[in-house]
Amino acid sequence: MADKKKRRRAYSDSEDASQPFKHLLKSDDQILQILKSFSSTSSSSTSKPLTLADLSLSSTCREVSDLSLSSVQSAIESLVLQLTHQILSGQGFSFTVPSRSSSNQLYVPEVDRIVLKDKCTIRPFAHISSVRKTTITARILSLIHQLCLKNIHVTKRDLFYTDVKLFQDQLQSDAVLDDVSCMLGCTRSSLNVIAAEKGVVVGRLIFSDNGDMIDCTKMGMGGKAIPPNIDRVGDMQSDALFVLLVEKDAAYIRLAEDRFYNRFPCIIVTAKGQPDVATRLFLKKMKTELKLPVLALVDSDPYGLKILSVYGCGSKNMSYDSANLTTPDIKWLGIRPSDLDKYNIPEQCRLPMTEQDIKTGKDLLEEEFVKKNPGWVEELNLMVKTKQKAEIQALSSFGFQYLSEVYLPLKLQQQDWL
Amino acid sequence: MESESPIETKKGKSKTPRKAKESILKQKSPAEFFAENKNIAGFDNPGKCLYTTVRELVENALDSAESISELPVVEITIEEIVKNKFNSMIGLVDRERVDEELYDDYETAKAREKRLAKEARAQEIQAKNAALGKKVKESAAPKSVKGRGEASFYRVTCKDNGRGMPHDDIPNMFGRVLSGTKYGLKQTRGKFGLGAKMALIWSKMSTGLPIEISSSMMGQNYISFCRLDIDIHRNIPHIHLHEKRDNKDRWHGAEIQVVIEGNWTTYRSKILHYMRQMAVITPYAQFLFKFVSDAPDKNVTIKFARRTDVMPPVPVETKHHPSSVDILLIKRLIAETSKQNLMQFLQHEFVNIGKSLAERLIGEMGPEFSPKLAVKSLTDQQIVRIHQLFRQAKFDDPSGDCLSPAGEYNLRLGIIKELHPDMVATYSGSAQVFEGHPFIVEAGVSVGGKDVKQGLNIFRFANRIPLLFEQGGDVVTRTALKRISWSSYKINQTQDKIGVFVSIVSTKIPFKGTGKEYIGDDISEIASAVKSAIKQCCIQLKSKIVKKMQAREQQERKRNLSKYIPDATNAVYDVLKEMAKSHASKKKRIEERDADILQNVSDQLITKETLKEKLTQHVEKVDYEMALEYATQSGVNEEPREDMYLQSLYAKSNFFDFHSPIFVFRLFQ
Repeated sequence: MADKKKRRRAYSDSEDASQPFKHLLKSDDQILQILKSFSSTSSSSTSKPLTLADLSLSSTCREVSDLSLSSVQSAIESLVLQLTHQILSGQGFSFTVPSRSSSNQLYVPEVDRIVLKDKCTIRPFAHISSVRKTTITARILSLIHQLCLKNIHVTKRDLFYTDVKLFQDQLQSDAVLDDVSCMLGCTRSSLNVIAAEKGVVVGRLIFSDNGDMIDCTKMGMGGKAIPPNIDRVGDMQSDALFVLLVEKDAAYIRLAEDRFYNRFPCIIVTAKGQPDVATRLFLKKMKTELKLPVLALVDSDPYGLKILSVYGCGSKNMSYDSANLTTPDIKWLGIRPSDLDKYNIPEQCRLPMTEQDIKTGKDLLEEEFVKKNPGWVEELNLMVKTKQKAEIQALSSFGFQYLSEVYLPLKLQQQDWL
Repeated sequence: MESESPIETKKGKSKTPRKAKESILKQKSPAEFFAENKNIAGFDNPGKCLYTTVRELVENALDSAESISELPVVEITIEEIVKNKFNSMIGLVDRERVDEELYDDYETAKAREKRLAKEARAQEIQAKNAALGKKVKESAAPKSVKGRGEASFYRVTCKDNGRGMPHDDIPNMFGRVLSGTKYGLKQTRGKFGLGAKMALIWSKMSTGLPIEISSSMMGQNYISFCRLDIDIHRNIPHIHLHEKRDNKDRWHGAEIQVVIEGNWTTYRSKILHYMRQMAVITPYAQFLFKFVSDAPDKNVTIKFARRTDVMPPVPVETKHHPSSVDILLIKRLIAETSKQNLMQFLQHEFVNIGKSLAERLIGEMGPEFSPKLAVKSLTDQQIVRIHQLFRQAKFDDPSGDCLSPAGEYNLRLGIIKELHPDMVATYSGSAQVFEGHPFIVEAGVSVGGKDVKQGLNIFRFANRIPLLFEQGGDVVTRTALKRISWSSYKINQTQDKIGVFVSIVSTKIPFKGTGKEYIGDDISEIASAVKSAIKQCCIQLKSKIVKKMQAREQQERKRNLSKYIPDATNAVYDVLKEMAKSHASKKKRIEERDADILQNVSDQLITKETLKEKLTQHVEKVDYEMALEYATQSGVNEEPREDMYLQSLYAKSNFFDFHSPIFVFRLFQ
């Protein structure tokens, strides 16, 4: 291993033409030293996280918490009894559902995440516009009641297939599922409904999944799928210096195959695009238990930043549970719009932004969670101004391994993150 | 590189002596130019030629009738002429083929073998299918493959009831390209002022047969008959016959007959679309379209009846707007003007320059200009200065008074008449300006109807003629497809049958491309005017659609609500049953009235049916209340009825027409 490295370094002069900036790289030991000092400062600075209760907000906010199965069951039962009373008295029945529309969302800078305000909508059965949703809600409630009785987990897909005729498509049952957890005041995981595995993790991490110890350095190239039910994950141990969050599967595979985590001890995570609940919960758990800094590697386009913001401040759809789902203080490592020129990314690898992209970019500039970070605003302004975007793969124009061998080490060495 | 260059130069040198012959300075007549570049006037191929010929004749006929405020009656006939008939017409003897192998469509022995084998196979398959009892597809009759040079010829006749032409002007009106009556600045239908002349050039190129014109003007006791063709090289008419004939019926108008090569099979639908859309935009005209051939099943006769006698006003000629002129045009205006000095010239040869503005303009031009400056003595530099000032100075926008839009009423009628839509909305925008030329955008949007495809059906009109080709890049198509969010008007872009009609009139339509078949999407003034016109229609439609949806909702509310009762009650009852079970065994501490319910569930006093019954009762109650509310809200106002046009049966009853150049006064007795 060491031999190989030396040889590589000896050739480095000739490689300069194809892999620019390589000569700027210091030795790995020096970079490691930089990382260690960064890691220690960030872990020591973490104080007790603020909660909404600590703040005196003008509007009350709705937040959910993990509930035990039995309390979910009794919540459903008391709701159903209420419905029965309504029906028997001849008034039909209705649900009072917290609104998850964007007008009911609030970004709270003190806790750096989106939370749900307390506006509710009433869904009566005997109204043409809400009869469908009301019926689906009743059906989902009864299905979850069954899950509680039997104490099993099912996937969202399973749930959908129990009554395809009524639900019609999975989007509808999924949306109502979020409504139900909002209504009952519990997290979606406490409903015993999970999503299919999407995220993967590889690197210097050992944890237990349902009792089995998993060593993520020995999971082959693909890594370990992030388990959908976080309550069965525990005993996290790691000697990593940071967590590297990757947007794209392709970049993840590159890093995993090059065993980047052995050169610079780290944990690499990806959700292959927009993150699912499990990945977000997993990241949050890693952050709180291991106290590691999180660095993000996303595309240089508005969607990259959006994905970053979902990890960081939460999505509007799941804002009721943002306390559990968000990981604060994620650093934007790359690829940033300013990197395009800094690393001389050739013109043919950059893409022109579509009108839709530019609009998304401008909308993002209006969002509070972007505004709070002046560095991000600057980068986003640059993107909208140059009207250019680039994917992580644009770096492959300097060779497939440029990402893992030059770009990332250099970035880490320069502590070039925002 | 260097070593190669000597060889190159040598080669070059060896070629130079064989240079082209001394180029002789030749002049081309306009007719020759158009004969060589016939595609720019829409004569790309035989099929398109047939289409464009029909189009030019119809548009001339309409212009002619409108110019004397006569409701147009246009008869157009296309007669197919088979080859031997055509040969006998031109006095050519039909010759049998002697040397079969000389021809392009000669079938070699090998090819015949192949064809026979293929046919045998096809028959075999068919027999098999028939044996299996499968539905036998009507086997397509072996297509008679037309060989090269097997052209089809058509006699196109167009008869109108328009102004007619003065006897002596007829030869020049047809036999001289780029001489016409439509060259002033006004809204016209024609493309280049070519009209029938281009058809004549095409007939000369493809058949060599002359054009025949009969014409009579109102009150004339004779009909002028003229048979002529065109001397393309000299751009002058070549008259075969020019005589006066009897006019017993006191007919006025023109009848033009031309024999051309064409292609009916491929352009049939285009021509019929054209006629149909023409009928939409000119509902006050009556069209009779006939296609006659030897095969009776191919014949077509369509009558587009008149639906209104309200005609849009004749567009008037207007003066140029200062911001739209170029240097050449200023020079021409100076040459043509009757005004002596600069002051009068500015005031009278342009719109929107009043006396005080003219004075200010002259003051701004510089010290060498004065109001009394003789306009004919302006130097080139001075003209450039005037042009510059015209470009930069601010003028009022030209008014749209000189335009003649189809009118909302006519557009609406046309749409209703031709498409029979369920709903229609029209909108007429106010005049706007692009580069000094006023334009008006009118739009109609219809939903539903017969013979209408699902999705967007776009009908484009420019100066009241339909545009059929190059739809993709057109401003109307792009606006309708990309910039209108149909769903926000409760219109389903893919499912509903949507008709979008946009008519743009202007003194100068900014066509794109050579064929003058579409208006570019890059003119923001026009694009935004089109968008807002369509939007206005959609807003009108939306309220109608919403009302309709409400009405439908009224009818279906109860059914839609009741549909969900079993699912909802089952869900609730399932939970209740489980609770009752555990309640019986565990005796969980719960409230008394809840305990009662659970007890009743276990005792089967409350069942699924009980819940269903109660919920059904509730739904019925709600439905009744809402129906009552709807009735009180909508019971009073009903849609206003549409005016209907009844064609008078005895139009020839007693009245006198008093004609003047600008109007016709009709006195009924």
